[in-house]
Amino acid sequence: MSDTVAYLLMAWLDPGLLLLTGLGVLAGIYVGAIPGLSVTMAVSILISFTFSWNINNALALMVGIYVGGVYGGSRTAILLNIPGTPAAITTAFDGYPLALKGEAGRAIGLSTVMSVIGGLIGVAVLAGTAPYLADMALEFAPRDYFLIAILGLLLVSSLSGKSLARGIFSVALGAVVGLVGMDMVTAQPRLTMGSMELLGGIHYVVIMIGLFGVAEAIYQLHNLAKIPVKQKVSKIVPPLNMVLKFLPLSVRTSIIGVVVGALPGAGGDIASLFAYDHAKRTTKNPSTPFGEGAYEGLVAPETANSAAVGGAYVPMLTLGMPGDAVTAVIIGALVIHGLNPGPMLMIETPHIFWFTVGNLALANIFLLVFGLTGIKLFSKVVEVPKAILIPLILVLCVVGTYSLNSNMTEVYWMLGFGILGYWLKVFGFQMGPIILGVILGPLLDESYRQAMSSVGNQAGDFLLGLVTNPLSLVLTSVITLVLLSNTPLKPWLIARFKRG
Amino acid sequence: MSKKIARVQAGEKLFDWLLLLLSIGVLYEAYRIDGGLRLNSAGSFPVGLGLIMLASSAVILLSHRYKRRASEITTALQEAKTFLAEHFKPPIVAFTICSIVYLIAINWISFYVSTFCFLAAMFTYYRQGRVVSSLVITTITIAVIYVLFTMVFRVYLP
Repeated sequence: MSDTVAYLLMAWLDPGLLLLTGLGVLAGIYVGAIPGLSVTMAVSILISFTFSWNINNALALMVGIYVGGVYGGSRTAILLNIPGTPAAITTAFDGYPLALKGEAGRAIGLSTVMSVIGGLIGVAVLAGTAPYLADMALEFAPRDYFLIAILGLLLVSSLSGKSLARGIFSVALGAVVGLVGMDMVTAQPRLTMGSMELLGGIHYVVIMIGLFGVAEAIYQLHNLAKIPVKQKVSKIVPPLNMVLKFLPLSVRTSIIGVVVGALPGAGGDIASLFAYDHAKRTTKNPSTPFGEGAYEGLVAPETANSAAVGGAYVPMLTLGMPGDAVTAVIIGALVIHGLNPGPMLMIETPHIFWFTVGNLALANIFLLVFGLTGIKLFSKVVEVPKAILIPLILVLCVVGTYSLNSNMTEVYWMLGFGILGYWLKVFGFQMGPIILGVILGPLLDESYRQAMSSVGNQAGDFLLGLVTNPLSLVLTSVITLVLLSNTPLKPWLIARFKRG
Repeated sequence: MSKKIARVQAGEKLFDWLLLLLSIGVLYEAYRIDGGLRLNSAGSFPVGLGLIMLASSAVILLSHRYKRRASEITTALQEAKTFLAEHFKPPIVAFTICSIVYLIAINWISFYVSTFCFLAAMFTYYRQGRVVSSLVITTITIAVIYVLFTMVFRVYLP
């Protein structure tokens, strides 16, 4: 118990960790706020610089950037009607109309306080549920891991794009890229096209930097000349009665945020959409109609997307499955530091879990401080023109990729993935599913082969196991439901059900 | 009630075909792995992924089969022109070419010199010929990169 408390408070008591968390949050707010930069991009590039650091220092900085970045996107959504992150798209629906009414300061203040409330609820749920879930996960068979990974990838595919087919294609493409290299069991080269250089595989950080850094930079060149319209900001700190008035809504939407955030692949963007919809349906008399500057429409997505951060950590730390693209990148960071995300993390290195919990809570406190101050400096920084920002992003991507293994070939791969990512993005494919495929592909391969070996390579026994084991049966049923809900069968089934 | 017509972007159907070809290539590469057709081998999972890619790219292609292009596009030539105008805008082409040249140049003339040239060229081009201020910004940027990455993070750069 005393050890747990010590790990929990480590980031609070160590000046170095305190500084790194604070710096991370501050940097995250700006990264999240500047359209064209993303938290995933920042964390991807950061991994390559921090892999030689002490793990606590590296995690403190990444957690800070993650928490700050999710919040930062809302500021430009309110002030400029340009969401800095996908999670802040719904914030703009009512945040920008509030700014147009001259209430930008109040909107920023309220969104800050609500983000912190959501973030802390997310951390509490993480601390309360993850140890139990990890214990349960120890009982999972390889077949269950295989099914959970399939379910995660299906959810990513169905929730994050224009169509399920595109999502599935993206996930499979990512998994294929993740499998390139030598097979760990048989030492056979796989998907290397005869190239010796590919035997070692393609480092996932290289792929991440390419897809999230270079692809986004090229994509932003379409809006090079866009000049945002600024708003005046005053009276940032919200009155207590205002906070108390929206507290019940924020608690409800925090729970939505945690649950949606914990679904593998469904991050803050989907959580905020669900929360906004919930607020719209449950608020009978909003302060102003939704879409015209309703505070409820600001509170709901802001609490949900911050709570989703804690939620996203749950499957990552207990099952080794990322809750969203950022946690996929953080999994990469943990692996680079020799850790094993998944149920064994809680047994082998419990201090990492409790340190992360304490650090997330600390990052939320920093968020409150930085969120309510420094608005003038903020408005200067977000004005950095894209003409300067975009070439700079490429240089950072080059430095980040090269610093991994001092290998220029990886830098060329990074550019290649960036160009591929740009074209995929142009035609409506999302980058998140590809990265989740890269991370989960090898895990799927491993658990599938283990599951097959455990039944003597008999397909019939494998299929029988899917419906005879209670957990496998539940997972198989959910996968079937997700698949059915994305086919034309869904409206037909609903119609039949209603008639019945 | 007006029904919104779903349309495809210029070049999207060609892209769909490219995805299908990529899927076939992946499937072929996966099949070449020893034991690709056995249920539990090094090649079984890649073959499965190749099949999934093939099926999903076929679905994407078929879903676009009856969707129309924008009303102003009536011929293949017009579509090609629209595609080039949308995606090969001078800032994008310049950035892509300069990026490739920059990455090749790093091996020849070192990271800092090539980065200076790349940033100076890009800043000047994107900022519509403001040479002096672009050079000043480039110099400051290079100094910040040097302090941050070489001195603080101790990253080895070529």
